[in-house]
Amino acid sequence: MLFKIAWRNIWRNHIRSVVVIASVAVGLFAGMFMMAFFQGAINQEVQSTVETQLSHIQFHNPAFIDDKDANFTIDNGQAIISGLKSDKNVKAVSGRIITTGMISSSSTASGVEIHGVNPGDEKNVSSLSHDIIEGDYFTGVKKNEIVIGKKLAEKLGVKLHNKLVLTFQSKSGDLTAGSFRIAGIFRSPNSAFDEAMVFTRLGDLADLLGTGNELHEIAVLLKDGQKVEQVTKTYKKTYPLLLVQTWKELSPQMALLTGIMDQMMYIIIGIILLALMFGIINTMLMAVLERQREFGMLMAIGMNKPRVFLMILLESVMLTCAGIPAGMLLVIGTVGYLGRHGIDLSSISQALSQYGFSSIIYPDLQRSMFLPVTLMTAFTAVLSAIYPAIKALRFKPAEAIHKI
Amino acid sequence: MSNIIESHNLSKVYNPDTIPVNAVSGVNLQVEEGEFTALVGPSGSGKTTLLNLIGGLDYPTGGSVNIEGVDITKMSENKLIDFRLKNIGFVFQAYNLIPVLTASENVEFVMLLQKTSKREREKRAVELLTEVGLKDKLDKRPSELSGGQQQRVAVARALASKPRFILADEPTANLDSKSTENLLEIMAKLNIEDKMTFIFSTHDQRVIDKARRVVTLVDGKIVSDVKQ
Repeated sequence: MLFKIAWRNIWRNHIRSVVVIASVAVGLFAGMFMMAFFQGAINQEVQSTVETQLSHIQFHNPAFIDDKDANFTIDNGQAIISGLKSDKNVKAVSGRIITTGMISSSSTASGVEIHGVNPGDEKNVSSLSHDIIEGDYFTGVKKNEIVIGKKLAEKLGVKLHNKLVLTFQSKSGDLTAGSFRIAGIFRSPNSAFDEAMVFTRLGDLADLLGTGNELHEIAVLLKDGQKVEQVTKTYKKTYPLLLVQTWKELSPQMALLTGIMDQMMYIIIGIILLALMFGIINTMLMAVLERQREFGMLMAIGMNKPRVFLMILLESVMLTCAGIPAGMLLVIGTVGYLGRHGIDLSSISQALSQYGFSSIIYPDLQRSMFLPVTLMTAFTAVLSAIYPAIKALRFKPAEAIHKI
Repeated sequence: MSNIIESHNLSKVYNPDTIPVNAVSGVNLQVEEGEFTALVGPSGSGKTTLLNLIGGLDYPTGGSVNIEGVDITKMSENKLIDFRLKNIGFVFQAYNLIPVLTASENVEFVMLLQKTSKREREKRAVELLTEVGLKDKLDKRPSELSGGQQQRVAVARALASKPRFILADEPTANLDSKSTENLLEIMAKLNIEDKMTFIFSTHDQRVIDKARRVVTLVDGKIVSDVKQ
């Protein structure tokens, strides 16, 4: 009957209860939507980083990571690629040679990282070929073609089919240069990447660099990205002389971002619930003070203090819990829609791309969020009830009964 | 007949540190089982305070209250609540029913606190409400009942816990003549047939006329105690 009384009590003042339920629902919606928004943005950034830059796993000569000297190549690189391609966990593999150098147009020059890739393999590992906005991704058979980012093209003041000169140190230590024609211009979600990376055919770069069939980097894309740690562990055992790294190891800032995301989101939800708590305390306090005479009567006829406390607690929990499904439904509906259609933030796309974020964010609601958020909200309800309940327990029956 | 209630030199002083008000002063009162007693006196004479002290709703500043030999003034607040639940029925001036419960649920509520089984609760609630003439109002909430009907539900609720006695604080103050008459008949019948002890504070001459003992208070002191 306590449940019945508590439930009926919260509907004694419809407007007040509806306002509290609505605040719980809106608070929960705001918190969870924010979580979904950031989760979506980070997922996209991770996906973009993995698909356009890092892939899931990379192999290097251990010395190459610290000093990108052309001499630090992977021994038997081609054989390793063949072995990796036969692994059932692997979706695609691409071998790369990498060096740093200067890229010059007729008007200016810029420092870049030059990647020599095998376009056939690279297309399967990297999504960069989908980001081409002008020209194409090495479809012709011409020698010395280069694909550069839009940002770099603007910086160098060049257009499609213009010529550029790459200057870098060859394997033998000599300064070498080659003239390349722009075959394609790409625009990825990350403008810093677009400005710093250029791509040539592996053979063209190898000829200038003097690396022959050797490789500096082997990039591996897995069929299931969740298995990255497990597969990397195996590769580390199989190739003990090579440095085998996951994308998280290659981009620790990205790993940190995904790692602290959960904690950040719970802190935000916590702050929202804290604000909500004061609203619930206020409502419950009003409800208790308005019913002083009733509490006096209940204690007079024999309702003990634990029962009075429990009744107020139930009222607070019921009031709050009524808002939880409403908030959840609201967020599921909204994120469901926006998760498919995206939130267009084109107006600030430049700022977003500097941080590697896409201008269209697809919010992503993790199922694992629901239980902890529900429990946090219910806990808030319990906390909110404590002060009003203590207040009620302090009423003296003889005085409370005669309150108007 | 044995004394069910005994007060010895009972006093209650409000605001003892600022402007002391002697609401009850040195009251010695004995009530026997089966009495139908009215506490009368002008406003501020201490009737309600005395009822509160006898009912364990408040602690005295001096003296003691013994209910069947047990000094309730020495009990902790929690023990007093339990004692009230088992031994004392209350009827208040403003009915004080639980507004969100129906008449039968209000009567059942006290039995629920006593951990009576659901079946027995429902059966007794119907019996008691029938006894006070509200058989057809079992499912009505207080807001759907007249003042007189609400006060009869309050009487049924007071009886539900099978108390040793019932304290009624100006039970007819908010009722019209017909409802007053009706309520008095019910209380008198319960007193005669079930030997239920009633002590009520009142200004109402019709209630005083029905009482078999009238205790008059003035300035917190008993000035007359007449059996009629």
